[in-house]
Amino acid sequence: MVTHEDVIAIARLSKLYIPEEELDAMTKAMDDIIKFADTINNASEEGVEFDNINNLSNAFREDEVVPSYDREEILRNANDIDEGHFLVRKRV
Amino acid sequence: MKYEMVAGFETHIELATNTKIFCSCTTQFGGDPNTHCCPICIGLPGTLPKLNKQVIKYAIMAGLATNCEIANISKMDRKNYCYPDLPKAYQISQYDKPLCEHGYVQLSSGKKIRLTRIHIEEDAGKLIHKRGDTYVDYNRGGVPLIEIVSEPDIRSVEEAKEYVEKLQQIMRFIGISDCKMQEGSMRCDVNISVRPEGSDKLGTRTEIKNMNSITFIGRAMEYEFQRQVDLIESGGQVEQQTLRYDDVSNTTSSMRGKEDANDYRYFRDPDLVTISVTDEEIDELRKQIPELPFQKAERYVKEFGMNEKDAQNISKYRRIAEFFEEASDGVKTPKTVSNFIIGQIFRRLETEDDKEKFDIAITAQQLKELVKLIDEGKVKNNLAKSTLEKMLDTGKSVTEFISESDMAGMDEGTLAELCKKAVEANPKAVADYKAGKVKALKSMVGFVMKESRGKADASAAEAKILEIIS
Amino acid sequence: MESKIRHYSNMLKNREITCQELTEKYLAGIDTSNKDLNAYVTVTAEAAIEAAKKVDEKLSRGEEISQLEGIPMTLKDNISTKGIETTCCSKILEGYKPIYNATVWETLQAQGAVLLGKTNMDEFAMGSSSETSYYGGASNPHNINHVAGGSSGGVASAVGGNIAVYGLGSDTGGSIRQPASFCGIVGLKPTYGAVSRFGLIAYASSFDQIGPITTTVEDSAIVYDAISGYDKMDSTSQGRKGAPTMDTLKNDIKGMKIGIAREYLEGVRDDVRVCIEKACEVYKSLGAEIVYFNLPALKYALPVYYILACAEASSNLGRYDGIRYGYRTDAYKDVNEMICKTRSEGFGDEVKRRIMLGTYVLSAGYYDAYYKKAQNLRGSIVNAFKNAFKSCDVILAPTVPMTAFEKGNAISDPIETYLTDICTVPVNIAGLPGVSIPCGFSENGLPIGMQLIGNTFCESTILNAAWQYENAVGSEVFKASEYGVKL
Repeated sequence: MVTHEDVIAIARLSKLYIPEEELDAMTKAMDDIIKFADTINNASEEGVEFDNINNLSNAFREDEVVPSYDREEILRNANDIDEGHFLVRKRV
Repeated sequence: MKYEMVAGFETHIELATNTKIFCSCTTQFGGDPNTHCCPICIGLPGTLPKLNKQVIKYAIMAGLATNCEIANISKMDRKNYCYPDLPKAYQISQYDKPLCEHGYVQLSSGKKIRLTRIHIEEDAGKLIHKRGDTYVDYNRGGVPLIEIVSEPDIRSVEEAKEYVEKLQQIMRFIGISDCKMQEGSMRCDVNISVRPEGSDKLGTRTEIKNMNSITFIGRAMEYEFQRQVDLIESGGQVEQQTLRYDDVSNTTSSMRGKEDANDYRYFRDPDLVTISVTDEEIDELRKQIPELPFQKAERYVKEFGMNEKDAQNISKYRRIAEFFEEASDGVKTPKTVSNFIIGQIFRRLETEDDKEKFDIAITAQQLKELVKLIDEGKVKNNLAKSTLEKMLDTGKSVTEFISESDMAGMDEGTLAELCKKAVEANPKAVADYKAGKVKALKSMVGFVMKESRGKADASAAEAKILEIIS
Repeated sequence: MESKIRHYSNMLKNREITCQELTEKYLAGIDTSNKDLNAYVTVTAEAAIEAAKKVDEKLSRGEEISQLEGIPMTLKDNISTKGIETTCCSKILEGYKPIYNATVWETLQAQGAVLLGKTNMDEFAMGSSSETSYYGGASNPHNINHVAGGSSGGVASAVGGNIAVYGLGSDTGGSIRQPASFCGIVGLKPTYGAVSRFGLIAYASSFDQIGPITTTVEDSAIVYDAISGYDKMDSTSQGRKGAPTMDTLKNDIKGMKIGIAREYLEGVRDDVRVCIEKACEVYKSLGAEIVYFNLPALKYALPVYYILACAEASSNLGRYDGIRYGYRTDAYKDVNEMICKTRSEGFGDEVKRRIMLGTYVLSAGYYDAYYKKAQNLRGSIVNAFKNAFKSCDVILAPTVPMTAFEKGNAISDPIETYLTDICTVPVNIAGLPGVSIPCGFSENGLPIGMQLIGNTFCESTILNAAWQYENAVGSEVFKASEYGVKL
């Protein structure tokens, strides 16, 4: 059973606010989904170790420098910048 | 009651690769903010990491140099936490299958500090807080790190300092990091708890984060040890928490905010594939591990009859050790070489950093030339010393300062001639000597040395003068 | 069915139409039809004309053009296009213009593709109707009161509505095949690793694949051959294995073993099952052999998919914090509150639900029961398919157990909607290739689709089987909608 407290804790980890008035609905939704997810625990089989989809290994890159992007490009999509930095300004 | 300190370290070391761990941006320290960045290391949507091969090599070398077992199979995991310096809101790290495990670092006492593991991960960017505003620079984001986790085997500040120094030496020696604590390329977190001496139970520990100087580590540990002892003595309890050390006030204080909810939700990074290393590859890397400082020191004592302190001083810095070994190769008295290095060359290298860089004007071969002349009796010690100074000033070879004729030595006749001259020129000294002032003899020997421009043999001159005046 | 791409390419080569004229016709088509279809969220008319002019110049110089050169197409809005807004149809990425190109777009652009614009999708590809889009859902060109499907609903609507010759979508749990099925067209989800994911904005990294949505099987083969390839930027990339799929597309399929897993037909609507049975008859007439077997591991496919995909999503979507790009809230006390408010205001409900579910199944105390267990069952499903392909060459299954939902129905009950993905998710779980092709119509005229599933890197086999079917049934089944450009 998913509780309000669970939802609040999960929301905090997820960096989301669940407004008071939506808490019931979100708890219900989570509970439904978790019950649905729980059906895997009815599986009689334990399953087998899963590594990665095509069992790949060793995809490496050589240690060779490629010029970085212009700072203007790097900062292009930022909401706020100052002195070449991404900026989060203090607000009240 | 007497208390004992129980401490373990988590040490982050930036690897000296050319490029970042998952993209091809430079790892160079400094640079204008956000100029060592690309879509990958600022975590733009849709970008993917590609692992730098050199990171694996360096991390395995670190493991081999600290007696670790190297995993044939390991993998990368995501450590999820949201903080503005972490552009993807997860750090790619290794959780349950690190590259290296079960190693140790041996202290000079012979005690082994066990290493739980060494794993690879990416560094975060840098935050600057100004008047409540937060500035973010991602130049450092994605720089490769190894994290070396020790068991809580450390019992004193001295052991702690030696442990950190040893790590620093080893990593520098194998060339995988410059371990500059002041630039943050080596950073230590220390877990510390106290317990009554003799007890084998572990007390509640605190963690002091991110210390970047060996001195501060010592002070912080002393402070924190005392704080915990005082707390327990006054009937209180140590609370498990993360602390920050303030070097100005020399106190520790609680860190809040960053990891209030400590649930990292580790899971395998689906963007990266398995890391598989064969025994052959590991052996190949093992061959690249040079003789380490303490191994060298031991050998110097055994082979060259050097005293332990000198041996340690020479072997501590890779470049110096290499210089020493090259300069003393084939000379009769390696000790002469080490004396020159410790006596004269070290005087020119004031800081640890200077010694690490070992930027001096002459080559090992040039020093060797000089020492060989001493070995052959062609140049006397005093002359050699002053010549070395000139060489170090100019970078020129010994032959620039001492000519062939200088080196030819001095025949008996010439020496007798000079000694006679010395006796004649210093009647007062002769009189003084005869009156029992032994020192007066020295001034006459000095005269001979000066006249011969250092070529004469001082003890032979002394004998000759005595012969003349007695 | 004639390849549309080849048809247009020939018209360009024979100078029956200029590329600019062709492009303008499509832009005009968008102008008139997009109001109904809501397929496009960004139209790049100027850039398209520019690209078209270059092709015309090349042609007028008498130079050769490649097959995809000058063909007007579209990209799903989660494929990064430098300088062109790429939002995943989320408020949180409003205004975001990537500073780099996805590898697939780099590849197509180099071949002279003409991009008409970016197409609608469920927010961050999470949904089955494209109605979780910040810009509202895309409509089904066969009946605009029904959804185009999702999450690549915009691409399917544009291609089915003939306002793009082809498009690239992405498929995490059916997001290419399901809308293709709903819109009566062809959608290929390639083997995991065949097409680079670099630049595809991640939903669930170990499931996501980019693939073509087209009106004919041959077009899918042409586009797949063009975009598949090893990419050093993607560690999970392997590229196409073997010869181009076009080489064997029209081969005889006599003796080909087509497998039917009984589980796929359970709970499927009658008209859909009938269409599958009819398709079996077609295949038999083409000389293929139908073999039946069981795939009991499929029983857990849906929860396994939702647990793992959401877990990955919760991590992939952590980066939307308002600092480097995208939406940022106005009022906040400190950085942490800025991040939480930005995310709460920027993400829609379905995305939030999936982030929450993903966080939950990874969190301390639940990891083993959900994430770990699901991962192990994923292993079982992979093995089950491996075994199945010992006794057949392709697996034939419905794409969706029903036809396109009426608008507004999909989002009312999330779990009900999740259940409709039952036939598509197993392919993603096992990383297999699957192609959805039309196989009939419902009573009310909505398309029904079926999928052909192949073993890893066997795109050639499924496209070959798909082409033979298409060739046998023709335009009665592969019926164009009323919308858009027809030349």
